[in-house]
Amino acid sequence: MQSVAKRFGANTVLDGIDLRIAPGEVVSILGASGSGKSTLIRCINGLEKLDGGTISVDGHRVDDPRQLQHVRRCCGTVFQLFNLYPHMTALQNLTLAPIEVLKLPRRQAEEEARALLASVGLLERADAYPAQLSGGQRQRVGICRALAMKPRYLLLDEVTSALDPEMTAEVLTILAKLAAEGTTMLFVTHEIEFARQISNRIVFLDQGRLLADLPTARFFAADGGLAQPRIAQFLSKMSKS
Amino acid sequence: MSLTFDPTTLAPYLGFLAAGARLTALACALALAGGLALGIVVALMRTAASPLARRAAGIYVDVFRNVPFIVQLFFLFYGLPEIGIMLSAFATGVLALSLAGGAFSSDVIRAGILAVEPGVLEAAQVSGLPRLAIVRRIVLPIALRSSVRPLGSVFVNLVLTSSILSAITLNELTGSAKIVASDTFQPFEVYALLLLLYAMLTWLVSLSAGVLHRRLNRSHR
Amino acid sequence: MRYADFTSLDLLLLLQGLGVSAALFAATTVIGTAIGLAWALLRYYRTPLLAPGVAVLAELLKNSPVLVQLFLVFFGLPVLLETDLSPEQAALITLSANTAAFIYVIAVSAIESVGRDQLETARVFGLNRWQTLRRVVAPQAAAFGLGPLAGLLVNQLQVTSLISVIGVIDLTKAGAILNQRTLKPFIVWTVIGLLYYLMARLIARTCARAESRLRGHSQWKGL
Repeated sequence: MQSVAKRFGANTVLDGIDLRIAPGEVVSILGASGSGKSTLIRCINGLEKLDGGTISVDGHRVDDPRQLQHVRRCCGTVFQLFNLYPHMTALQNLTLAPIEVLKLPRRQAEEEARALLASVGLLERADAYPAQLSGGQRQRVGICRALAMKPRYLLLDEVTSALDPEMTAEVLTILAKLAAEGTTMLFVTHEIEFARQISNRIVFLDQGRLLADLPTARFFAADGGLAQPRIAQFLSKMSKS
Repeated sequence: MSLTFDPTTLAPYLGFLAAGARLTALACALALAGGLALGIVVALMRTAASPLARRAAGIYVDVFRNVPFIVQLFFLFYGLPEIGIMLSAFATGVLALSLAGGAFSSDVIRAGILAVEPGVLEAAQVSGLPRLAIVRRIVLPIALRSSVRPLGSVFVNLVLTSSILSAITLNELTGSAKIVASDTFQPFEVYALLLLLYAMLTWLVSLSAGVLHRRLNRSHR
Repeated sequence: MRYADFTSLDLLLLLQGLGVSAALFAATTVIGTAIGLAWALLRYYRTPLLAPGVAVLAELLKNSPVLVQLFLVFFGLPVLLETDLSPEQAALITLSANTAAFIYVIAVSAIESVGRDQLETARVFGLNRWQTLRRVVAPQAAAFGLGPLAGLLVNQLQVTSLISVIGVIDLTKAGAILNQRTLKPFIVWTVIGLLYYLMARLIARTCARAESRLRGHSQWKGL
């Protein structure tokens, strides 16, 4: 199944974008700040309303409130600022949605949650509160929380931008593993090298417009993506920093 | 009567006063529960998306904050029997306290709700949780946790306001004290003692609120 | 069985009650503010014995019911001092003291909100404590204090309704009289409630206007 996306201005933050993502693909969205990258992702999971065009995930349209619930169930989201529930332990953060939405029995939800935490190396911290965890640990919990719902698609909104280099590496390792396992992922990121390594496709946004939508190799090729001046400019600036 | 201050003559009446204090405590505890429940509902209405809900809740809070409690109390005490609702003085008092308490606590809880980080709300929405679950498991626990101290001062206010219930012939602490004062002809001692008792009571409530706040937020902040 | 219906004399009673409530509110506010500010001054100058004493008194007044304070003054003081006290006098004394306690707290908090650096700057320039207060601290504190003051005034207006219990013929007492006679509680108490509500709104509106004028003034200074 495909997630078809076609958007027009949400206060002209996004201007006529057409995008198709197939299951199993890992797509990175690159662009300068303010280019509309985060807005795009937030339109997919319904956090922003579309002013024009449609988005559908697995045939469910995002602008219909009833269908939106279906969309949200099959998309997991990881946020830049983690957004963990501060009053719940790591374990409870993971089990809340499976218990309430998927109606899983508590025991099963907790077992699966612990397995997830173990896979990212945080099993001993299962009963810690977010305030007691480091940034990298919080983001790993955030990823597990998204995975706990067994989503078909994973949406990641600049998930390492708030982390220092060491913690960034922790998180990127996990994401690489997920990509290798065949999870469909849609990244918004500033980590160009990382995007180059694990994505199938790169999408480049500039001021709300889609400038390029190319397979990774083509994007970084001199006669492909780099042929566009904006993209070349962007990439050279990013590699300098 | 000379310029004496002799509190020892009040000793035999302490039991009677204690009974009054118990009635105050009971009325206030019930009113706190009622007021809190009402306050949560009203706070949710005031932060709801529907302008009608916001308006209705806004009017309720506006009225109960700008009309004196004793007028509210008399309205209920003399008015309810007229429409066939027969409540005891105690029940009327608890009702009035709950309604007033609800208005004040809704202010506090509303502030707590607005202070929930929007990102946390988004995370909850995006995981597919239905709205009721989000309110029950995310918004309210966070909002109430941060509201404990200010709710404590709402409760203090409630305890002080409960003294007005003596005006509808309820023998809570103040009402009992009036009887003792007229019995002993020593109003100064009685009311001075009463003042101290109330001050101690409210101090205890504030202290408990502080302790509760620290316990709830031990690992979260 | 109705005792009597409403007459035009009732309007007079209502107005009289309203006048008494308003007058007492105004008087106790003025007196209470004066006393409260004086207490705050004691604290500012850190007067030994008086400053902490006043702090304790304010705490006591704030954390006990106004009704009990009224009873203490009206029933208790005459016995203790062997004098007579009219309900109005007792009301005046009690409410002024009660208002003073809250004004004191607001003033202290407002003064403390003015940054420490302001005080240090003034001292470095050679201003003494009084000059610092008058020129530097007070104007800024006034801006801080106006918000809580508005809330306090509305609250103290409600509190005046309690003087009806010791026999002052204020607005609430007028309501009680009318209620007893006409046995129409819904009409009577709604009207009384409405009158209090309108007065409270008036106070809030006046304070808001004063605040915007004060703020506007200081903004202009910023230019």
